Amino acid sequence: MQKPHGEESETSLSVTPPKKWAAGVPAVVHALEYSLEQTSPRRTGVDLLTMNQVGGIDCPGCAWADPAPGRRHRNEYCENGAKHINDEATTRRVTADFFREHSVADLAGRSDMWLNQQGRLTEPMIKRPGSAHYEPIGWNDALGVLAEELKSLASPDEAVFYTSGRASNEAAFVLQLFARAFGTNNLPDCSNMCHESSGFALSETLGTGKGTVGLDDLHHADLIFLVGQNPGSNHPRQLSALEEAKRNGARIVAVNPLPEAGLRRFKNPQQPRGIVGRGTRIADRFLHIKPGGDLALFQALNRLLLEAEDARPGTVLDHDFIDAHTTGFEEFARHARTVDWDDVRAATGLTREEIEKVRDEVLDSERVVVCWAMGITQHKHGVPTVREIVNFLMLRGNLGRAGTGACPVRGHSNVQGDRTMGIWEQMPDTFLDALRDEFGFEPPRAHGLDSVNSIKAMREGRVKVFLALAGNFVRAAPDSEVTEEAMRSCRLTAHISTKLNRSHTVCGDTALILPTLGRTERDVQADGEQFVTVENSMSEVHTSRGRLAPASPMLLSEIAILCRLARLTLDGRVEIPWETFEGDYHTIRDRIARIVPGFHDFNARVTRPGGFQLPNPVNEGVFNTEVGKALFTRNESVVPRAPEGHLLLQTLRSHDQWNTVPYTDNDRYRGIHGSRHVVLVNPADLSELGLAQGDRVDLVSVWADGTERRAENFQVVPYPAAKGSAAAYYPETNVLVPLDSVADISNQPTSKGIVVRLEPVPDRTQPSPA
Amino acid sequence: MAEQHEGPRAVPDTPGARTSGDRSTGRRPLRERHVDQTIEVAVPVRTAYNQWTQFKSFPRFSAVVRDVEQVRPTVTAWTLGYGPLRRRFAVEILEQDPDAYLAWRGLEQRPWHRGEVEFRPTESGGTAITVRVLLEPRGAARILTRSSRAARLTTRLVHGELTRFKRFMEGLGQEGGAWRGTIRNGRVQHDRPEPPRSRVARWPVG
Repeated sequence: MQKPHGEESETSLSVTPPKKWAAGVPAVVHALEYSLEQTSPRRTGVDLLTMNQVGGIDCPGCAWADPAPGRRHRNEYCENGAKHINDEATTRRVTADFFREHSVADLAGRSDMWLNQQGRLTEPMIKRPGSAHYEPIGWNDALGVLAEELKSLASPDEAVFYTSGRASNEAAFVLQLFARAFGTNNLPDCSNMCHESSGFALSETLGTGKGTVGLDDLHHADLIFLVGQNPGSNHPRQLSALEEAKRNGARIVAVNPLPEAGLRRFKNPQQPRGIVGRGTRIADRFLHIKPGGDLALFQALNRLLLEAEDARPGTVLDHDFIDAHTTGFEEFARHARTVDWDDVRAATGLTREEIEKVRDEVLDSERVVVCWAMGITQHKHGVPTVREIVNFLMLRGNLGRAGTGACPVRGHSNVQGDRTMGIWEQMPDTFLDALRDEFGFEPPRAHGLDSVNSIKAMREGRVKVFLALAGNFVRAAPDSEVTEEAMRSCRLTAHISTKLNRSHTVCGDTALILPTLGRTERDVQADGEQFVTVENSMSEVHTSRGRLAPASPMLLSEIAILCRLARLTLDGRVEIPWETFEGDYHTIRDRIARIVPGFHDFNARVTRPGGFQLPNPVNEGVFNTEVGKALFTRNESVVPRAPEGHLLLQTLRSHDQWNTVPYTDNDRYRGIHGSRHVVLVNPADLSELGLAQGDRVDLVSVWADGTERRAENFQVVPYPAAKGSAAAYYPETNVLVPLDSVADISNQPTSKGIVVRLEPVPDRTQPSPA
Repeated sequence: MAEQHEGPRAVPDTPGARTSGDRSTGRRPLRERHVDQTIEVAVPVRTAYNQWTQFKSFPRFSAVVRDVEQVRPTVTAWTLGYGPLRRRFAVEILEQDPDAYLAWRGLEQRPWHRGEVEFRPTESGGTAITVRVLLEPRGAARILTRSSRAARLTTRLVHGELTRFKRFMEGLGQEGGAWRGTIRNGRVQHDRPEPPRSRVARWPVG
C-alpha cells in the first residue's frame, strides 16, 4: 500500500485468473491487514465491534440494511466496510506543516490513493487568491470568508451546495434549510450520479422513489434477479442476505457484462461452511449481457410472459393485481408484443433460448425480487430500463406482497436519507410550504441546479461559490477536465471533509478546507454527547454514534459548521435557532418530525433498538401516482451500438476501492494487481482489434460534440467481458464521460455504455498520475 | 366455518392459479390439516378479533411466543421459544376479513406451514374461534413430524394457546388495539386513498 508522505511508486501490472468466489478467510485477512496499517488494534476493535450494532456506528461504506436487533452477528460488517471505517479512523494526520511542504500544484499532481493515504485533516485551511499553498486559518475567519463571499453574490443562485451521501439526516436537513433560507434550491448531490434514474422511474410508475423491499423479502423470495450490480465488491453484506435466501430455497439469476466473483459463489467467513467448505453458490443462472442490453432483456421477458398467458389464459399474469392496481396495461402489452427478437439479440448478446429459460424460472416462482444498481441507472436509457423492470414485476403481481418487489441497491450510506431530508433541487411545494410554515420564511420555488447543471453553470460563470458537504465532487463527476475547469472558474470553493482529496487541489481563487468529525468519532456539543441518524437503502432510519476521540480537537461536526456558517451568512434575517440546533441535535429532529412525512415522534422512535422503518406505500396497496394506480409504461426499444472498431465502455470500481478512493492498486477478485490503468476487454474483441495482453492504449471516447476525450496509457487485459464491451476503473476514466451525455429524464451522467476506441501507444511506459 | 372442497392447493404456485376458493372473499380453505381446534370466548366477535390482530401482544398470554415483529401489515416475524431454544420464522397474511377470518402461511421453506383462524358469533353473544394449521415440514423435520404423536403434540399446543387466549381475553374484557384492514392475496385493500401509515416522502430518491 501507499506509505504516508511517500513518493508514488511506479506501477507494475500483474494479472491472475479472476476469482470464482468472494469473501471467505482472505476477506478477513485483508480487512484486518488494512485496518491495522491505518490505526491501532484498540481503535480497530472499538470500530469494528460497534459497527452496525444497536447504538453503534452506522458503516459509512454502503447503504445496505442491517438485520433486525437480536439477529446481528458480533461482527456485522464486510471487508470493505472494515477498510472504510478504519480508513477514517486512521492515526495519520494532515497538519499545517504538510500544506507548507506541498503546494496546491504539487497536490494536484498526486493520485487519489496518495492523497487519501496522508490521513485525517486536522484544522481549517485556506488557499488565498494567488497563493500556491494552503495555510491555517481559524474557524471564525474561515467561515467568515465563506459567509462574506456568499453575501457578496448578486443572487443566491450564484452559489451551489453539494451533498455527499455520508452526511447524516440532521446535517442534510440543516444544509437544505440554510440553502433555502439563503435563497436558492441549488442542491446537487451524489444521488444525481448514482440512482437518479431509479428515483425518477419508480416515482413515475409506483408513486414512491424508494425500493419496496426489506431484508425479509429477499430472504423469502423464490427468485432474485441481480442486474447490473456487483455485490461482492460494492455491497458485500448483501451476500449474507442472498445466502439466507438460497438456504431458504431461492434461485438467483445474475445479469451482468462481467462474471463477477460475488455473483458466482460466497464464502461467508462467519460460518464454518464459508471457511472450510465451498461456500454458497449465488447465481444459478448467469446472463452475460452486453452493457445497456437490460432494457431489451426485460422487454423480451415481458413479451414471453404475455405469450405464456396467451397459451394458458388465466395462469400466468396476475389479473387481479393488474385490474385493481394498475393502469396502462393494454398499451404496454400491445407494444411489448412487437419487441423484435433480432433487436433483443443485438442489444443483449443473449440467445432467445437463454431468455426463455429465465422465463421458465419466472413462471416457476411465486415471489420475485429484482435488485439493480448502476449497471442499469448509468445508461442513457436508465429510466426506461427501470420502468421496464417495474412492468416485469407488475405482470405477475410481484409488488406489495411478501418476498417480492423492486430493490435499487444504493451505494452511499445515507444517500437515500439525504434526499428524504430535502436535498433535491426540485422539491415539491408541499415540502417547501412545510418549511415556510415551520420557520417563517418563504423558500425559493424555482428549481435549482443538479450536479451536471451545476458544472455547466460554474463553467459559464453563473455560479461563483461552491460548498461541498463531504464527498469528492471533482472525481465523482463526469468529464473530469470540464469539471476541473468549472471548479477553477469559481471565486470560492469550500469542502467540509475528513480527508484530503483531489477536490481540494482543483479549486477556486479562494479555497477552504473545513475539517470535520467522522462517523467513528464522539460528537460532544453544548448539550452533551450527540448522535446522528441515517436511512438505509431499505428505508430503515436508525442512529449512528461514534466512540473514538476526534482526530483533532480543532474539528467541528458537520452540523456545527453549517449552523455557524448560517448564522454568519444570514445575519438574523431568518429566525432559525441555529445555535440551539448546534447544541442539541434532538431539536433538529423535532423540526424534521414536523416537516418530513413519516418522521413523526422521530426522537422517540429512532432511539428504539434498530430505529424504525418508514412505511412504503406500495406495500400498503397505495400508489401515490397522479392517477392513484401503478403505471405500466411503454418503453421504446434501444440497441446500444458501437461503430466498427469501437467498444462500449463501462466504468467500474475495483474491489479495493471505496467510491473515488482506491486503497491499493489491486483488484484481487478480477485478478488485477499493481495497476489501475487497465482496460478489460473480451479476448475475441482484442483479436479483432489486433491487440494483445499488455499492449498500451489510450482510451478515446466518441461523442457528438467532436471533442476528443482521452484517458492515456492503459494496459490491455484480456477478460471475460461481454463481447463488444470494455471495462475500466472509475474515477480514472470519468474523463471519457461527456458532460452532456446524460440519462434521458433523470439527467444522470452515463458512466456506462460509452463508445470508445483503443489507440495503441507503444512508446509510453508511465501511467498518468490521476 | 370455512367450507371444504376439492381444488388446487390453498396457496397456488403461480398468480394465475389464484382462481380457486371464494373470489369475493379470496378464501381458499385448507383441504387437509394437522390441527383443527375451536374454543369459545365470552367476548363479542369484534373484541376477540381486534385483540387477535394485536400480534405483538401474543407473548403476554402465550406459553411459546417470545416475540413478534410487525414487519408490515401483511408480514410478521414470530420468535417461538421453549426453554433455551428459540426459533424465528416469518409469516405472511394472505387473507384477512375483519371480524371473520384470517389466513396465513409461513415464509420459511423449512418447515413450511399454513393456517387460518375463523371468528364466528355464538348464540350467547360470545365468539367461537377456530384455528386450523397444516404443517408441511421439509427435510429431516418431515420424518420427525410424520408420526401421529407429533400431530397430537401440535394439537395440544394449539389448544393450550387458544385456552390461554380465552383466559387473557375474558380477563381483559376489551381489546388493547385493533387493525381493521382487509387483506386479499397478500395485499392490503384500502378504502381510503391514502391510509395514514403510507404518508411518506413522495419525491424521487436518487
